[in-house]
Amino acid sequence: MAKAELQQTSPKMKEKEPPLKGTLASVFLLGFFIIFSWVSVYFLFLHRL
Amino acid sequence: MHLHKYEKIWLAFGIGCLFVFLTVIGVSAFAEGNQPPSCLTTIDPEKVDQTPPFDKPGLVKTGNNEYQLNIVVSAFAFTPNQIEIPKGAKVTINVTSKDVIHGFEVAGTNVNMMVEPGYINTLTKTFDKTGEYTILCNEYCGAGHHMMTGRIKVVD
Repeated sequence: MAKAELQQTSPKMKEKEPPLKGTLASVFLLGFFIIFSWVSVYFLFLHRL
Repeated sequence: MHLHKYEKIWLAFGIGCLFVFLTVIGVSAFAEGNQPPSCLTTIDPEKVDQTPPFDKPGLVKTGNNEYQLNIVVSAFAFTPNQIEIPKGAKVTINVTSKDVIHGFEVAGTNVNMMVEPGYINTLTKTFDKTGEYTILCNEYCGAGHHMMTGRIKVVD
């Protein structure tokens, strides 16, 4: 019984893509933060040349 | 392998950033000739006091408004540690260590080097503003590390 149930639900799960909107937003937030930090340190270096 | 559309976006973005940063380093190194302060110039750390230019450390005039500043770094002092530089001078700073690894930082400027025994570190800096700068050791080198300072005065 349990086996039959599993077979029924698994194809349904495969069709649905997981919602990754929040992950995308956090990845880009972190990415832009890293780029912002890098660029600000670089401009500090150029300013002191 | 199935990739989510968003995963493709951030992977492409990340790999793109990697190439941008590599290009920046490549242009800086190969087109503009930037190199690390210690670039394969060696010295016998036990004979620093007998090896020119460190046998007579200090500021030496090498040309019109161009100077060479040779400093011997040891536990726990910079020799010399009081330096007067005329404003606008282009100074090539050479430092080397007699014992352990030290740091050489002129606070508030880009002059910041790790001083390793056996190597001569070189960096060129133009002092455009008058004022006083503190030299400090920023690599922990022993019990007297916190007292290792020097002073550069840029005068008119």
